[in-house]
This record gives sequence, C-alpha cells and structure tokens, in this order.
Amino acid sequence: MRRLPDAASRGKSITMDLEGETVPAIEGEPVACSLIAAGESVLARSIKYHRARGPYCFSGACSHCLMRVDGLPNVYTCRVPARDGMKLERQNAYPSAKVDVFEAIDWFFPKGLDHHEMFAGVPVAEQVMAKVARQLAGLGLLPTAPAPERLPVETVRTRVAVVGAGAAGLAAAQVLAAQGLPFLLLERDSVLGGRLLSGVPEADAPPPPAEGLLAPERVRTRVTVIGLFDDEEGHLLAAVSEGTGEPRLVRVYAERFLLAPGGHPPMLPFENNDLPGVYASHAASLLVRRYGVAPETAALVGSGPELYALARLMTERGTKVVAVVDLKGSPPADAPAGAVHGSEPKAHGHNAVSGFSYQDASGRRVKVACDAVLVAVAPSPSFELARQGGAKVEYDEAREVFAVVADAEGRTEAPDVYVAGDVRGARSAAQAAADGRRAAEALVQSLTQAAVGGKS
Amino acid sequence: MSKALVCSCEDVTVEDIRHAVAKGFRDVESVKRFTGFGTGVCQGKSCLSAVGALLAREKAQKPEGIVPFTPRPPLYPTELSLLASFPVDESKPPVGGVPQELDTFPATLRPEGAVPTRARVVIVGGGVLGLALAYNLSLRGETDVVVLERGYLCAGASGRNGGGVRMQWGTAANIELAKRSIELMGRFARDLGINVWLRQGGYLFMAKTKAVAERLERNAALHNKHGVPTRMLTLDEARDVVPGLSLEGAQAVSYNPEDGVIFPWPFLWGYANACRKAGIQVETYTRVTGFELSDGLVRKVKTDRGDISCDTVVLASGAWSPEVAKLAGVSLPNEPHRHEILSTEPLKPFLGPLVSVLDSGLYFSQSMRGEIVGGMGDPLEPAGLNMGSTLRFVSRFARALTEQLPNLGHVKVLRQWAGCYDVTPDNSPILGRTPGLENLLQLSGFVGHGFMMAPAVAERMAQWMTTGASDELFTRFNLRRFQEGKLEREDMIIG
Ligand SMILES: Cc1cc2nc3c(=O)[nH]c(=O)nc-3n(C[C@H](O)[C@H](O)[C@H](O)COP(=O)(O)OP(=O)(O)OC[C@H]3O[C@@H](n4cnc5c(N)ncnc54)[C@H](O)[C@@H]3O)c2cc1C
Repeated sequence: MRRLPDAASRGKSITMDLEGETVPAIEGEPVACSLIAAGESVLARSIKYHRARGPYCFSGACSHCLMRVDGLPNVYTCRVPARDGMKLERQNAYPSAKVDVFEAIDWFFPKGLDHHEMFAGVPVAEQVMAKVARQLAGLGLLPTAPAPERLPVETVRTRVAVVGAGAAGLAAAQVLAAQGLPFLLLERDSVLGGRLLSGVPEADAPPPPAEGLLAPERVRTRVTVIGLFDDEEGHLLAAVSEGTGEPRLVRVYAERFLLAPGGHPPMLPFENNDLPGVYASHAASLLVRRYGVAPETAALVGSGPELYALARLMTERGTKVVAVVDLKGSPPADAPAGAVHGSEPKAHGHNAVSGFSYQDASGRRVKVACDAVLVAVAPSPSFELARQGGAKVEYDEAREVFAVVADAEGRTEAPDVYVAGDVRGARSAAQAAADGRRAAEALVQSLTQAAVGGKS
Repeated sequence: MSKALVCSCEDVTVEDIRHAVAKGFRDVESVKRFTGFGTGVCQGKSCLSAVGALLAREKAQKPEGIVPFTPRPPLYPTELSLLASFPVDESKPPVGGVPQELDTFPATLRPEGAVPTRARVVIVGGGVLGLALAYNLSLRGETDVVVLERGYLCAGASGRNGGGVRMQWGTAANIELAKRSIELMGRFARDLGINVWLRQGGYLFMAKTKAVAERLERNAALHNKHGVPTRMLTLDEARDVVPGLSLEGAQAVSYNPEDGVIFPWPFLWGYANACRKAGIQVETYTRVTGFELSDGLVRKVKTDRGDISCDTVVLASGAWSPEVAKLAGVSLPNEPHRHEILSTEPLKPFLGPLVSVLDSGLYFSQSMRGEIVGGMGDPLEPAGLNMGSTLRFVSRFARALTEQLPNLGHVKVLRQWAGCYDVTPDNSPILGRTPGLENLLQLSGFVGHGFMMAPAVAERMAQWMTTGASDELFTRFNLRRFQEGKLEREDMIIG
C-alpha cells in the first residue's frame, strides 16, 4: 500500500510507537490505515493457526486488525483514530508477529485441526494438549488497570430513531424532517453519507449529503448502536457514543425504529483469503477515497456491478489492475478491458499478498503478480438489530445472504420496526435512498393513524 | 500454509464446515457449535452468509432450512465498564428481552421419514441428561432406545450453561454425585473419543454475609468428610489464588482445587455419537406432541413425525418438563426460570478458578478459549420459558463483576444469552417413577447444576432401569416427596 501523491494534505503528520519502532501516521486517520500506508502489513496473528493477518474489512466486521493499543487488548485499529505517541502491540505472537514460532501450527496441520477429537483418550498426549491449548488460548492480555468511572447514561426520547446515515437513512431522515416529526439519526462513523462517501462510486447514486442537510440536533455521529432491547417502557436502542471523546452509554426510546445500518463485508471463502493484502471492496474504496491510500497493483475478484465499478475506481486512482475475475458469469459488455469469468481464486504469498491466481473458462490456471487482492461481493445485511426487534430474517438464495423480510414500504413483522437499504439485501445507493423514503413515509402514516386511532 | 477461511476470527476453514456436514451437523446452529464459526470477536458478521451459502451449495440443507443463528447483543464488542453504567431499577422485575427463535424451528429442518414405530425406551429431551442416560443404557446392553429432541443438540440449557463442575455442595447426595461425575468427565475423552476440556482450576466461593459464611464453613466440614479437599482460605490466601480479586466485604472464602470448568457443547456430541454408534436413534428437530395412555401406563409417544409405542418413557426435557408432563396429565412442581449469562472477548489465561459470590449469585470463570464466562441470578426474575436477553442483566452483572475484578473494566463483552433453570421447590431433582404412571420415569429438576450431575446420575439411573436393583436415589428424589413434605433442601445454589 502507498499514499497517493495528494495524501500529504490530509492531516497532521505524527508518529506512533509500534513495539518500540517509530511509525509515521496521520492524525485522526484509522490506525490500521496509517500502518499499512507505512508498509506494515502484518498487524496480528490469528487465534488458532497463528496465521499472519492484516486489516480486511475496515468496518469492524472482522477481526484481522485487532491490536493491543495503549495497553488495551483487541482494539479494532480500523476504527480507532491515530494519535501522536500511540502505543501499538501485535497480539498472539512469540517472539514477534513477523517471526512467530507458533506459525508452525499452521504448517503442522495442513488439513486443519479438529480439536474435538485430536488426541482424545490418548493418555499423556491428551493432558499435554489440554495444558498447551490453555496456554495458547485467548487473544490479548488482561488490562493492568481498571477503567475510569464512566459518564452517566444519557437518555433520549424521540418519536423515530433512525440507525445509519447512508443513502437509505439520510433519505428517510429528510422525509421525517420535511414532515416535522421529531427523530434522531444515529451514525457510527464521524461523517454522514456511508457508502455515498466511501463506497465504490455508482453512476446513479444520490449526491453525498450537503452541509446543513439536517438540523444538528437531529443527528448524532460516532454513535454505535449495540442492541435493540426492551424494558418497562418498551423498545429502546442501546448505543455507545464517542462524540465527545469519553465514551458513554446512550439509550434511545422511540415509537418507531427505522433501521438502515447497511451490511458487513463478508469473507469470500477461497484459499488464503485471510492473507494480509486481501481487502474487502468496501475497505479498498474507503482507503482510496477518504485516505488516499491504495495498492500499486491489485487483482479483483467477486461478482456484480461493484466489481467493475471498483476496477474503474482503482484504475482512475493509479492502481494497476492486473486481473478482474467475475465468479458468477461472463463480464458485461461495458466491463473494463481484461475482465474475465473465472473460478477457484487463490491468493499467494507468505506473510503478505504477492500474487493471485484463478482458473479461467477453459480450465487453465492463470497467475498474476500483485500486492493486493480486492474482494467485491454483496455485503451481508446487518440484520441483527431488526431481528432483535422482532423482524424476520430469511436466507436469500440468489444473493447468498441473510436479509430482513419486509414489504415494499419497509414494514417488518415487528410493528415498530422498519428497514431500508442493504439490510434488506444488497441495494444500489439509488434503490436504498428510495427504500428510505418509502419506509419513512409509511412510518409517518402509521404514526398518524395511531394518533387518530388513539383518539377514537 | 494454504487454507480457505470462512470464519477468520476462529480460524474455521471451508474444510471444517464440510467436516461438520459429513458428521451430520447440517443446520447453521449445529454447525456453529461444532466448528465454532461465528463465536469469535466479530460474532458472525463476516462469516455467517458465507456459511449459509456453503451449506446451500453442499446441499446440506434446503434453502428454507438455512436460518441464521440468533444474533446476540451487543452488536459490537462493548466494555464492561460502559455496560455497568446502565441504571437498573432493582425493585422492578425484569421484562421481555431480545427474542429468540426457539419455538419456531422450521419444519424443513425435521429429518425426512417417520420415527420408528416402536422402541423399548423413549427419552424425551436430547439435553445432557437424556443423552447421558441413553449412552449409559447402551453400555448395559439396552439399545432399543430413541431420544427425541425438538431442536438441535444444545438447544436447551445444556447448550447454554456456564460449564462449572464442583464438589462443593450442601448435601451428601450431591457431593457424592458430583465427585463421581468429575471422575467420569476426566475419562470422557478416553471413553467416548471427544475432548470436553475439563480444567480443574478450582471453585472459589465467597460469602459476604454472616449467614452465608457460616454455611460455607459448615459445608466445608461436610466436604472433608466425603474426601473433598475444600479449605477455608484467609483473604490473603484468596488473593494468591486469584490475583487482583477484590475481597471487600468478604466474610469467608472456601476453595476446592479439584472443582473445575468444562466446555459443555462437545459433551452432547460425545454422548450422541456414542449412542448412534451403539444403534440408538437420536432424532433432532422432532417434537413430542402428546402421549397415549391406558391402564396407568404410557403406551405411545406422539411426535410431529409419527407415534412410537414403547415400554418406558423418560422425561428429560429440562425446563420444558412441566409442559411435557402436562401432555401426560402429570403436574410437576418445577418452574422454568430464566438465567442470563455472557461471554467476553478471549484473553490470555489469568484466572484459575471459577469465582462465585454465593450471596448475590455472581459467578465467573475463564473458559478454555480464554473468555470470561459468567452470570448472575436475578431475585425478581418471574417464572417462564423466556430466553430473551436484557440490558438489565448485562448491567447488573458488569457492575458486580468489575467490583470483584476491577481490571476487567475495559474488557469487552462479545455476546449475552439466556437459558432456563429447571427449578424445583427444594432445589433438588425429580427422579424415578411417576406415581400413577408407572412407566413414565422422571429425570428433571436440575436447577443450575444438571450438567455436572448428568454423568453420575445417568449412570445410576441406567443401572437402576436395566437391573431393577433398588437405588435410594430414585426414592429420595421421587416426585412423591412433594406431597409427603419430605423435601431434600440443597443450600449451595448459585443463582
Ligand atoms: C445460564 C445457565 C448456567 C448454568 N450453569 C451451569 C453450570 O455451571 N454447571 C452445571 O452443571 N449446570 C449449569 N446449568 C444447568 C444445566 O445447564 C442444566 O441443569 C442441564 O443442562 C439440564 O440438562 P437437561 O438435559 O435436563 O435439559 P436441557 O439441556 O434443557 O434439555 C432438555 C431438552 O428437551 C427438549 N425438549 C423440550 N420439549 C420437548 C418436546 N416436547 N419434545 C422433544 N424435546 C423437547 C429441549 O429442546 C431441550 O434440548 C446452567 C443453566 C443455565 C441456564
């Protein structure tokens, strides 16, 4: 990975301490982003086989970038802003993540390790294994100090709680604002826009949100919703707000919940898909669009329009795209030149990607050299909150994801839970925005009807 | 080394999923438990859909049978210290909870074909007790047995518990049973070919009130009489056993180094595999819907896959036992009570024993995988088969836990869930024949300790069933005792 030429202007240059070494970083940028831009590709070792890991999803949906940060274990370095002097340590490796002796486990068990049956009943081996397993278990060390006293919980009551400020959530919020309905929009990121800002660009996407689009008191950024619970008063969202620096718990009671949290970048199972240098398309587009960090050469694999759009984006920003492999079928007519239908993708390299291969339509294995493999597949709907609120979730065979079941207006099985956007199964940004609008309108109507019904 | 990962948090490969399918674990919940996919830091965000797609492609499951596992709160790992800040009104009972799909296993998950039309013994409930009994029957030559389970293996309390096993009890019967169980657990891998990861790191009980302190002391003496090496520790000694433990307000501490923790899930496969090998049918996703009775006997067990005529029926349905017993017109005094529990991110080993504050019912231990697993009873929890998760629980628990081990404040919770204790009026199980329905045998009411009792109780019950030799266990704990007022009160209950 390298910084693009215009990246210098993006923030203050600082340094962080990586196991005693000084590494350059840009203040406020995710730690993992600064690290890969500085050429540090191995951030962690995996839990069982001690496989080398670098960041994959850049959205807190995998575990590849977890490090010990300022003494705290298992911190998502893809989510934490870099600060001057930050102390970073790799976990689960001895003597170091670069030369980890336990990497041998990966090589000793090429076919994997069935810990249920391994050495079961072999008298001494069994006991030795239990002892060794105990010592090898776990990620990270117990912190050496207690947490500070936390700020008291903040309680918010509003009529509609909207989760996620991507295309769907923003469109919904605009409808609610136009109707004059009190609502609160909660966004995990520090900026509004979601995929509109950091995703793979789409031709027909709505414009990114303009400054002042929504009244400031209607919007909260850097708020991560952690659950849709209920208590004596009814449904509530529990969230962790980091808006003011000190994290605090917020509970949001509302009459309706409009959930538009998008999706998670999934793992596409192929050989060495966890090698440092393999990135989800979301990560690649975020890195290049927001932070000006991109690979020199990349192979792209996946399916759907996002695959080709990502190829265009990367090429435009100076990455040499050496392969575009569509796993589902032949590339469409307007696909970038060189795109092919292929199967059996595989990443190559020891502790970082150095190549990529696949089987082409004629059954021949094709191998290219590259320093990144970018995986473009449909996101997995983040259905958790909707499900917790009582909505139904089904497997969508065509898209190969679990998605929330909803009618065209975003109504779910739970009367107070509406959904819009990728949480229903991958949508284009334009479709997501339309979803958001429709769901908000239906929701407004349900509130009005409830009010009328209540009076009669 | 070249590997294709599905769940990278837990290093689960495509091969592991195929291996699970080949072993007969064909639905998402079962595959999750067998392979560990989705149980790591990201809780399935990156792997769940990939596993669903794999199961579909391998034709392990029809599309309608591909249902996601229940998403557990919190959605993102959350520090205990933050969860502890949530205000709880202790005077009000808990309500609701994040719902769980436990009543609605899709019919497509049911195995095809009918169940056998006849079996000598039908066991209702494929939890640890039902399976352990079936296995022990097979050891004694009785293999004409069918085990019926309405969900996947591990759907009940046996898949939801804390994995604690201890000899520190308040009654001679429980001490002896637990001792035997721990012995059998130590041999489990040898006897059944599956590792259950028994780790004897001890149990450290703390008492904060005088009455409980006296109970600990009295019980320690009883343990010693039964050869259990329980010791009363000074506070300094307790600090040595658990560095960093706050002993504020502790009036007494008891410790038995031979108690321990196990990993509950493999127990069920271990028993189920061994049963199947012996020719016993273990039928998952098969629900008992009624019984046919005549002349004081159960003649048939009705299921949603056909009826089975039988000689003996064993009721081993845990918290569902009252519900199932009612189908036979039997009323049990058991009550289901939700117990919530959670698990944190995995940490390198630092905690030896399971620690419990007996007064509040707080308990926590470090699992073999490095997670802190713990729970705490709620005195106001109403009776009912509720398996929802509440914010109230994580808050109460997080507060109590960080009080005892303050350095856990920054440690993050990965998931919370709930199960039901199967509570009897005297905290002791219901075993033996049902008055008025001679061939309906009871095996329920194990409150919060059925896991650790299962191996020993099942052994005795199989012996009693196959030889007809009398065993006082089945009279002492008989259902009749509630009418006769001869209760068997156990006072070392965590909850
Ligand atoms: C949070 C929690 C923590 C615990 N901690 C511990 C601990 O640390 N140590 C310990 O020893 N014990 C512990 N326990 C208790 C222990 O888990 C139980 O006592 C034990 O698992 C009971 O086993 P069982 O086989 O009786 O019940 P279950 O495992 O509940 O099995 C009963 C089965 O019957 C099935 N069933 C119900 N109705 C029907 C029907 N109509 N037809 C067919 N099948 C049916 C259910 O699906 C279920 O799988 C804990 C329990 C909980 C909830």
